[in-house]
Amino acid sequence: MDEFQEILQDFLVESFELVEKLDEDLVELESHPDDLELLNGIFRVAHTVKGASSFLNFDTLTHLTHHMEDVLNKARHGDLIISPDIMDVILESIDLMKALLEKIRDTSSDDGIDVAACVARLDKISNGDLSGLADAVANEEANKEAAAEEAQEVVEEPEEEPDYDNMDPDDVEAEIERLLAQRQAEDKAKREAKIAAGEEVPSMPPEPSDEEPKEEKKEEKVQAKKAPTPAPVSAPKASSKKASSDDAKAAAPAKRAPATVEQTIRVDVKRLDHLMNLIGELVLAKNRLIKINDDVEERYEGEEFLEELNQVVSIVSLVTTDLQIAVMKTRMLPIGKVFNKFPRMIRDLSRELNKKIELVISGEDTELDKSIVEEIGDPLVHIIRNSCDHGVETPEERLAKGKPEEGTITLKAYNEGNQIVIQIDDDGKGLDPQMLKEKSLEKGVITEKEAENMSDKEAFTLIFRPGFSTAAAVTSVSGRGVGMDVVKTNIEKLNGMIDIDSEIDKGTSIKLKIPLTLAIIQALLVGVQEEHYAIPLASVLETVRISKDEIYTVEGRSVMRLRDDVLSLVHIGDIFEVERILDASEHAYVVVLGLGTSKLGLIVDILVGQEEIVIKSLGDYLKGIEGIAGATIRGDGGVTLIVDVVALMSMARDVKASTMANNNESEAASSEKTKPSDYTIMVVDDSKTDRTIMRKSLEPMGVTIVEANDGQEALNILKAGDYNFDAMLIDIEMPRMDGYTLATEIKKYNRYKNLPLIAVTSRTSKSDRMRGVESGMVEYITKPYSADYLASVVQRNVNFKSEFL
Amino acid sequence: MSDKLKDIINKQGQQQESVVGQLDDVVQLVGFIIGDEEYAIPILSIQEIIKPISWTRVPQVPKYVLGVFNLRGSVIPLIDLRTKFGLPIKKQNDETRFIVMRHGDDVAGFVIDRLTMAIRIKKENVGPPPDTVNGDNTIIDGVGKQEDKIITILKVNKLLERDF
Repeated sequence: MDEFQEILQDFLVESFELVEKLDEDLVELESHPDDLELLNGIFRVAHTVKGASSFLNFDTLTHLTHHMEDVLNKARHGDLIISPDIMDVILESIDLMKALLEKIRDTSSDDGIDVAACVARLDKISNGDLSGLADAVANEEANKEAAAEEAQEVVEEPEEEPDYDNMDPDDVEAEIERLLAQRQAEDKAKREAKIAAGEEVPSMPPEPSDEEPKEEKKEEKVQAKKAPTPAPVSAPKASSKKASSDDAKAAAPAKRAPATVEQTIRVDVKRLDHLMNLIGELVLAKNRLIKINDDVEERYEGEEFLEELNQVVSIVSLVTTDLQIAVMKTRMLPIGKVFNKFPRMIRDLSRELNKKIELVISGEDTELDKSIVEEIGDPLVHIIRNSCDHGVETPEERLAKGKPEEGTITLKAYNEGNQIVIQIDDDGKGLDPQMLKEKSLEKGVITEKEAENMSDKEAFTLIFRPGFSTAAAVTSVSGRGVGMDVVKTNIEKLNGMIDIDSEIDKGTSIKLKIPLTLAIIQALLVGVQEEHYAIPLASVLETVRISKDEIYTVEGRSVMRLRDDVLSLVHIGDIFEVERILDASEHAYVVVLGLGTSKLGLIVDILVGQEEIVIKSLGDYLKGIEGIAGATIRGDGGVTLIVDVVALMSMARDVKASTMANNNESEAASSEKTKPSDYTIMVVDDSKTDRTIMRKSLEPMGVTIVEANDGQEALNILKAGDYNFDAMLIDIEMPRMDGYTLATEIKKYNRYKNLPLIAVTSRTSKSDRMRGVESGMVEYITKPYSADYLASVVQRNVNFKSEFL
Repeated sequence: MSDKLKDIINKQGQQQESVVGQLDDVVQLVGFIIGDEEYAIPILSIQEIIKPISWTRVPQVPKYVLGVFNLRGSVIPLIDLRTKFGLPIKKQNDETRFIVMRHGDDVAGFVIDRLTMAIRIKKENVGPPPDTVNGDNTIIDGVGKQEDKIITILKVNKLLERDF
């Protein structure tokens, strides 16, 4: 049974690849109906699938493909001219074939899909009964040749379909064995021939005597399984030549020889993902190593071993980077995989919409990470459908405008720095900014005021708003106002950007800029208070340093002027609920974020720098936190959160601009005093005696007293936040940190802005007093002092309630 | 010689069986203190126990989720059980530990006040949770009775379940 599963898997992989190629060929065929090469290729696909499916007992699939084969066979022999109507039926049957294959993939059986209707239509065509399908001439022709065709089929039939159904399992087994052995022999011969004569093998010894055409075909199937990509291309050549002469038959395998030279293996994506994860770990370790190297360098400057260390570190980091690129490359797929389905789509659409549209594809070799290739398909489908429906005009309109009847849509992919750009151009009617604004106003997507201030470029982006549609009527193609919204969300999910440009009657150009990979990204690290955040660099347009008075408030929102634009601002601390412990300085940095076409200024305290980071998920427990895309581990081993720019943009709309203003109300409310010991005073002095004197002076009041030995200790006690101090008595002369420095440090904290600091010192000069005031002291008590005096100063400064006295 | 070997192998087999037999009716737990209460969790659901390390705050989560920390390259959530159990915040000290618990693919670190010890307790001495806290939503798995005290055994899967 396992063997069967294996064969089935091979069959499916092969068939899907063949069918994918088929779509392209068929559209091509329509424009060149007499291209025998193409026809042969298509015929072979149907035939191969039929052969394999009958072997695997998929009767429905066999039935369908058999009839397809009939039609194609006629066309191949010139008995049938492929008209668009016939093509429709063929395409329909291909779709059915795809559906059947998918069914087989999912359920291992091909039951449940009705092919009768399609088969009937195919029959009609192959029987020449083209009533309503083609004109009388073709009809006649078909009738004439029907007889000849029949005769031919009689000849072909016996070689083609030995009755595998009625073979008993042993026979089937034997057949497989035989085919395998034969193939191995052939392979061997081929290899020998290659060694002997290189690629060109004009006269190879004929293959074993049991070689009848059917076996040959069977063999190719097996071959195709091993080298699936080139098979569809080379197969038609092989089949046509085989028909002509024995010589060509021998040459056919030689033609395929290059296929075996290009050695590929299929690898489970999971393994690649795992490999990618490991590389991620390595990159983190590398970052760490570099940081340590820097530290060591600083400390042991000039030492000899440093150079060696430096070398090793740079080699490790170089190799890691190379390794990362190499593994990333293994995950790359050509974007052609996605582009392939569009010729067919355009063909269907142009018929449906009665327009003439040509699709020009370039850069299909451009490579992208597998996960991105998978995600990019849907947005592209929407954009192209949109271009067909709204962009390109009907042939009449086009002629009236003096344009060629046939519209052109260009699909391009190319590299640009660290990004891939996918560009979709059409030469249709273009977007009318005025009309877009009116429509959006009508649908309530924007307000009148917004419309007035909108530039043309901004107006173009309106098409990406949910609920927007320019189509006058909802068609089956588009007009529901969902499509382009989906495009935007999907592209943003990939950290990509959309750029749209248009000119009336000239056309529209949409550019999608997408990062190469998802797992490792460049990020800008920013700091707010004591926290750090990483912002994907792809979303950062620029950074600006501003002073506070450049921030204006408009309708409760902070904005700033950036060159000619007004940029709305939001403080990162407001979004991530960062506690304002440190007082913000006079200057701040604004990180200008751009996503798609919207912009936002994010205010941060400091810019830390640019770094390559590995994205790690926060796990199930913390997933879905708004505004956080994940986390990364930094060189120092700490965790830094990665900002989700998409979410941040929408969160910014709801955040109030409390930004720079500080509110101290909460603190006042919390310090309601009910008894003398609720008052807490810190005494900072390096002399035990002085501290005791102060304690003795204050104890009669009943307040709580905390002592600290020097400035540093006092600061640590404050930071720990175990007490809520009402005042501090500070000596000036202290080791480690003196009173002035301590006062300056304390005043940096928002919380302690209003904490009364009282200097208690033997320094009496005026300049000392001045320094005290500068550093934020409110009172200056000179030693010696009376206990009552000290107590009264403290009472005054802490608003000591008189009832406690 | 081979007989001897067989003998030894047999003996070992028997020994193992008897060990398994013992394990069958004994649960191994690790006890720890939060506030004034002693709690325990099955030893097998503990990945490791570490001393407190620095962590990164995560916004928009309940107070008891302190943030995330780096455990040898993995980003793991850190949950403060004191806060989760409604106890006032206490400063971390020398006895504070992070217990990293695992259930299936879910991993999280939990801050506890201090460890007590590994406990072997017979299954028959583990009772159901008190009637007042039964139901599916309780994080109490059962109550282990020991000579002089009782220990609340917690459900690790419930602890690791996101409830916000």
